[in-house]
Amino acid sequence: MSFRDFLSGYAVPPNVWDEMCDQGDIRSQYKLFFDSLSQDSSAELASKDDLAKKLFMSQGITFTVYSDGEGIEKIFPFDIIPRIITASEWTHIESGIKQRIKALNIFLRDIYHDQFIIKDGVIPASLIHSGGGFIREMVNVDVPFNIYTHISGIDLIRDSDGSFYVLEDNLRTPSGVSYMLENRNMTYRIFPGLLPKNNARSVKDYPDLLLKNLLGLSNRQKSEPTVVLLTPGIFNSAYFEHTTLARLMGVDLVEGKDLVVDNAKVYMKTTAGLKQVDVIYRRVDDDFLDPLVFNPDSILGVSGIYYAYRKGNVAIVNAPGNGVADDKSVYPFVPQMIKYYLNEEPILKTVPTYGMDNPDHFKHVFSNIQKMVIKKTNESGGYGMLMGHAADEKQVEEYKKEVEKNPRQFIAQPIISLSSVPCFINGKLQPRRVDLRPFALYGPAGIEIVPGGLTRVALREGSLVVNSSQGGGSKDTWVLG
Amino acid sequence: MLSRVADAVFWMARYMERTDNVLRVLRTNYIASQDEIQNFDWQLWVDGLGATPDSTVKVTNYHEALFHLVLNKENDTSVLINIVRARENARSVQDYITKEVWQCMNDYYHIIQDKNTKKLMLESDPVTAIDSLLRESVLFYGSVDVTMSRGEGYTFLNIGKYIERPLRSLDILELKMAEMERGGNEAMHWKYLLYSLSGYEFHTKQYKNALQMNEVVDQVFMNTQFPHSVLYSLQQVERYFKRLDSISLPEHFKEMEFLIGKSISNLKYGMNPQAGAVEIKALIIKTRAEIKAVAHKLATLYFGYS
Repeated sequence: MSFRDFLSGYAVPPNVWDEMCDQGDIRSQYKLFFDSLSQDSSAELASKDDLAKKLFMSQGITFTVYSDGEGIEKIFPFDIIPRIITASEWTHIESGIKQRIKALNIFLRDIYHDQFIIKDGVIPASLIHSGGGFIREMVNVDVPFNIYTHISGIDLIRDSDGSFYVLEDNLRTPSGVSYMLENRNMTYRIFPGLLPKNNARSVKDYPDLLLKNLLGLSNRQKSEPTVVLLTPGIFNSAYFEHTTLARLMGVDLVEGKDLVVDNAKVYMKTTAGLKQVDVIYRRVDDDFLDPLVFNPDSILGVSGIYYAYRKGNVAIVNAPGNGVADDKSVYPFVPQMIKYYLNEEPILKTVPTYGMDNPDHFKHVFSNIQKMVIKKTNESGGYGMLMGHAADEKQVEEYKKEVEKNPRQFIAQPIISLSSVPCFINGKLQPRRVDLRPFALYGPAGIEIVPGGLTRVALREGSLVVNSSQGGGSKDTWVLG
Repeated sequence: MLSRVADAVFWMARYMERTDNVLRVLRTNYIASQDEIQNFDWQLWVDGLGATPDSTVKVTNYHEALFHLVLNKENDTSVLINIVRARENARSVQDYITKEVWQCMNDYYHIIQDKNTKKLMLESDPVTAIDSLLRESVLFYGSVDVTMSRGEGYTFLNIGKYIERPLRSLDILELKMAEMERGGNEAMHWKYLLYSLSGYEFHTKQYKNALQMNEVVDQVFMNTQFPHSVLYSLQQVERYFKRLDSISLPEHFKEMEFLIGKSISNLKYGMNPQAGAVEIKALIIKTRAEIKAVAHKLATLYFGYS
């Protein structure tokens, strides 16, 4: 297929930043890749696409939808064309995320101790205490190395002028990193030789960096601390990720029933009796962590684990209570936090955000609803939101009533158009919208970000929702060296 | 190693061994049913292999029987459900078994769900269908052997395998004897029994007489060169269990060692070489109970995590 064939019919929607095309030209970062690609016919690409699907299926890189007691395997849709980020773009992203994580982490330390930021009037106290993310039990708990956000996923999008915006912070149990790793494994199977030729930077260090950080958190004077990964179990949609990370790090994958607390220490039940656990990378939400402290109905957690944590006998990653910092209504205050704590200007832009509990904002948003998206502050995964341009009058009215019931639970943002990238769909290249979730690791030695991340793509034409639960897929993400 | 993981690996191996054994029997039975003039009694096998207390399934031909025993999702003992269970166990310990073993289980699962397998099994040639499934099963054993580290996981996996295997051999022997009572050429029955256990060629080389009960029973129970014999399997259980010495609590190890040793001794020194059918049936029941007691004790001492 010739270069031109690829581009014919590739129509970037107006006012959208395309990652590959710049007014009919190919951007420099995509040139090498496209030279190689144009040697393939459309049929060859289709067979690569097919190969990718088969590999995902046979490797069990699937999520399971359970119905009638029998699991139905689905693969997380994968698009074979990589998303390419230049070295300078990455430097910008990396420094922006590091700055942001640093500020958010100090904020968490502050909010659970002295609350200077409230006393100085930067953030209203009502906002913190009305959101549900603030956990009273974390007040005055000293966490190891003052690190709360050991693993964070920061969602970035790109507006029509190409500048990066932070869409949201995920500081609780962000997922998707296994797809970052598996997508890369897939790329070198279907495009042999292209990664080194393009000088794409490797992402495979992630598990090693994470393990190094986890080991560093142990409180015991021991050469080999016991680290475990706590999963809710095989029915969890991210179970594949849990097993992948546990295997790559060589740590035990445990469920709540494998752990027991005795004398404020956490043990796991092994064939040779009980063995003390030092660090827990938990993928169980705060609410389910300890039935004695949080949700009493939880069977996913471990009774007494929170007490062991407060005593400092076990490290829990990420720290409980991070929800107060990644709440969507706290999000607009992050630039102020950066100025307040670090005395720096924010490197990454923030999307203007309107709290719906402000009557002026409420009015402004509903009179410009065509350009707005309204989201629930405590929901994620693309659920519970209203895209103004795609909703009819009736839906807007119904949603408005919902918002009026509890305006604190909603925020609104102008719709940011999201950049597009080429995807191989139905035998040809078509532009689809993407976001980017790099994963930042905060350990005793500082913040590290592997060059790359999860690029999520809205596979439906014209859609701006990239969540996998809403018809989204993913792509490999190359950061050029 | 986590008790839960040990338990899951143990059961994964048991389900896989069960699958392999059942498929081999069905393959032989299908061939036998094509070979004989009289009607092959599939109902006996459906009741014997697919028995749950409330099962009331009636079959009249091999189509129905194979569907029920291999592909029926409603049948708790079907091969398909075995594989689903084995895979669920594998999935819960995915970080512990190797990627190769997991992929093997996963492929097996996809192949048995495949439309072509079903079509081949029920409409065309069941032998080809069963052979393709058995190939997956052999791949599983191969991947385990080539890729798994020789740690605790491998040990529990093998203990599971060698606990399941003699139980299946005993079941098949028992069912064959029941079949025999309903008539037919006795030598033919023994021959098919040995085929089911992959032991016919071995028998012709090892035992020079024409097929007769005591020699077949000797092979199934006592012959330590025959990998499906009860004694061989129990010796393997003993061999693998001894590797757990260093990681076990001493009192647990002793208790298990005694139980395994006792069942081996009972078999070795308690069997009458000239036993008649009645005596053999009693021995089957007794040996089965002893093996189950070993499995039960193992679950209590090593997998007890609740």
